[in-house]
Amino acid sequence: MMENAWLIPLFPLLSFLILLLFGKRLKEASAYVGILLTLASLVFSILVLFERFSEPTYITKFNWLTIGDLHLTAGFEVNQLNALMLFIVSLVSFLVHTYSKGYMNGDERFPVFYAYLGLFTFAMLGLVISPNLLQTYIFWELVGVGSFLLIGFYYYKEEAKAAAKKAFIMTRIGDVGLFIGMILLFWETKSFEYSAIFAAVDAGAISGTMITLTAILIFIGAVGKSGQFPLHTWLPDAMEGPTPVSALIHAATMVAAGVYLVAALFPLFAASKTALLTIAVIGAFTAIFAASIGLVQTDIKRVLAYSTVSQLGYMMLALGSAGYVAGVFHLMTHAFFKALLFLAAGSVIHAVHTQNIEEMGGLWKKLKFTGPLFLIGTLAISGVPLFSGFFSKDEILIAAWEGGHPILFLLALIAAFMTAFYMFRLFFMVFTGEARGDQKHVHESPNNMTYPMILLGVLAVIAGYVNTPWFGSFLGDWLVDGNPALGHGHIEGPIWIMIAATVVSLAGIYFAYMMYYKRSIARNTISGTGDTLHTILLNKYYVDEFYQLTVVAFTKGLSYFLRFIDVFLVEGLVKGVVGIVQGLGRTGSKMQTGQVQTYGAVAFIGLALLAVIFALTGGYLR
Amino acid sequence: MSSVPASAFLALALILFCIGLYGALTKRNTVIVLISIELMLNAVNINLVTFSKYGMAPSITGQVFALFAISVAAAEAAVGLAILISLYRTKKTVNIDEMDTMKN
Amino acid sequence: MTFSGEFLAFMGIALVAIIGGVLLLNLTKVVHMVVALIFTFVAIAGIYVLLSAEFVAAVQILIYSGAITIIMLFGIMLTKHDDENEPKTGKWRKILVFLGIVGFAFAVYIGIYNFNIEQVSTALHENNTMQIGKALYSKYIIPFELTSVLLLAALVGSIILAKNEKKGADNE
Repeated sequence: MMENAWLIPLFPLLSFLILLLFGKRLKEASAYVGILLTLASLVFSILVLFERFSEPTYITKFNWLTIGDLHLTAGFEVNQLNALMLFIVSLVSFLVHTYSKGYMNGDERFPVFYAYLGLFTFAMLGLVISPNLLQTYIFWELVGVGSFLLIGFYYYKEEAKAAAKKAFIMTRIGDVGLFIGMILLFWETKSFEYSAIFAAVDAGAISGTMITLTAILIFIGAVGKSGQFPLHTWLPDAMEGPTPVSALIHAATMVAAGVYLVAALFPLFAASKTALLTIAVIGAFTAIFAASIGLVQTDIKRVLAYSTVSQLGYMMLALGSAGYVAGVFHLMTHAFFKALLFLAAGSVIHAVHTQNIEEMGGLWKKLKFTGPLFLIGTLAISGVPLFSGFFSKDEILIAAWEGGHPILFLLALIAAFMTAFYMFRLFFMVFTGEARGDQKHVHESPNNMTYPMILLGVLAVIAGYVNTPWFGSFLGDWLVDGNPALGHGHIEGPIWIMIAATVVSLAGIYFAYMMYYKRSIARNTISGTGDTLHTILLNKYYVDEFYQLTVVAFTKGLSYFLRFIDVFLVEGLVKGVVGIVQGLGRTGSKMQTGQVQTYGAVAFIGLALLAVIFALTGGYLR
Repeated sequence: MSSVPASAFLALALILFCIGLYGALTKRNTVIVLISIELMLNAVNINLVTFSKYGMAPSITGQVFALFAISVAAAEAAVGLAILISLYRTKKTVNIDEMDTMKN
Repeated sequence: MTFSGEFLAFMGIALVAIIGGVLLLNLTKVVHMVVALIFTFVAIAGIYVLLSAEFVAAVQILIYSGAITIIMLFGIMLTKHDDENEPKTGKWRKILVFLGIVGFAFAVYIGIYNFNIEQVSTALHENNTMQIGKALYSKYIIPFELTSVLLLAALVGSIILAKNEKKGADNE
């Protein structure tokens, strides 16, 4: 089965091509094309995953380009991480395809949407089975294109257009780092192969400084894609895209690509203490930074977006603290519960036609499925015991503590508190209390929207049990099997960490409950509307404004200057050249009189000139 | 041995060739252009015959070639005149400026 | 250089040839131009005699002074020539072509000036016609026969070209 893993990305590509060619004719039926082909991908992925449990890594490659004695290869690899990612991506993609049939119903560009989904899924699946950096980079950029198209799907909305551009440009900034890092690695090792790079790192063929440099450069690429500080601002803006897209891109796939990249290159990062520390610090900072912004946002999708940024920070913290298993484990559980939350949020938006949580409320009774499912997701992300998020978050906290970063551990703990608080704030404001907006036509979403959510809800509960301190760390052992560079399958930590995590998340829930349900604590206890702290948080620490004033303003100034050069210098030159050529042409065409005698005279004068020149200079004889 | 050097014959041929060339390139009358071309051919013939006597390996070949050239020139004159006549029939003129159908 | 009889003959003949050429360029009437050219052709025949090519000289007089000149005269008579109204060639073009020809003549003259080959005595003047006949019928038999084909083709071609397609139209 594993030797056929290359088929998995091809199904969505096929879907993309079919819909590109016949989308206009298929109309609503194009959903079935997309759903069936991603289902095929999913089935293959599951088969590959199960086969990978019992068999060793499968890798195959062929020569792609030969330059001198340099061989660039292409191929695919099925190791533990890749198999797991294949499963996650194809599952979420399949569910999003199904869900979109209901959500996007009636949209004019319905087939186009499915075509874009196919392209994106293809790129993402291709990314996770690449055996070398070059191939990874190609798919990495393709993922960027796919997300650009999907975020800008409502291109007639100015905000969506701007958000798409922003997402593309911000991730490009990171990509430049990745590219430089990649080239440096190639320069050092003469190979793009992961295995060759790891072997070179192992053998000490690369100097320590170079490892740190390349690792950090590659991490910059991951920062861009995974929305880490300071390149995080595109992610909340990307919520302008359709909600299923948010679930696909911002839960399981594109943003996870950065985490995946760090995980895939983990042996490289593990060789440099500095690089690991950088990752851990940025991850922890992003986690608490984004969580604090999430406290005050009023757009349901933006709250989820900031929680995504925060959770990705967690994963980075885990990887940076040498907690390979914890990071990947959280990547998996997060994919499930965040996809669930986004789909549920989409269902809510579908029902009430607004994204502002101030205009919602009291939806619990009206949305019989969405409410409980959203609650499951919220419990999971808050880290309430027995839900999946609890186990993975616990792993991360242990990794941070054992990794010797008490300050980062504390930050992560505070972020966990904030996460529980704002997620339940969201829940209480949306589903409980009085209806604050116009909610006459609220109705539950159709079946093809609720079924994917139910499946994700089940996974959000049980996904954590594959790696627990109580029933054995099956996932962890499997992930690091045969690869000592990745660390241990399970890190033993003091029991009080688990208790502390539980207490913290319950405390967050309790505060949210008191503040937004019982209302026994006034909402402006800590900081009311209009206060400095509240304003700063509402404006996301003014990061966007900062960029606007510095980078963007500088770039604009530069571009105005360059435009000046272009208009007056380059264009003047070009116009001059054009004028000369046109004049020459006009003169030349006038000379075409059609009179043989004139032609003869001109030809002869030319010959005579040549003859004279040769006679005077002696030609080449001299 | 002849007292006239070969270069004298060649120079004469050159002068005649130049006269023919000038006529061919500047005269308006198509008949005169044709005649000028004949003059150029004649100049070439002088060269051939000169080299047949004063060349590196003197032989009768040069004269034979001159004969061939004369016969080809005669054929060319006949055909050229035929073309001229048929052109004159359609254009009613022998002025070379009017013969610019190549332009279109 | 001695003023031998041969040299004097060459100078006279060459002078006639060049004068004929110059007259061709400068006379105004077309018929006069052709008559001037006859002088040149006959003079060239004289040059051939000097170069011990009697047969070629005879052919030159027969073909050029005879046949071709007559053809040209026919051509002139069959077409209309209003010499006075004929627009003159542009002055600039004349000057340019003249300059080009002077340059060309200069370049070729340098070649002629540097041309120097030992003269070898030849037997071309002995039974010249017989020598040519032998060469034509032995070594050059195929070109010779091909020439007859060419002449036939030219004959047929000129008849077809000059034939009046419209029956009864101006029959020239």
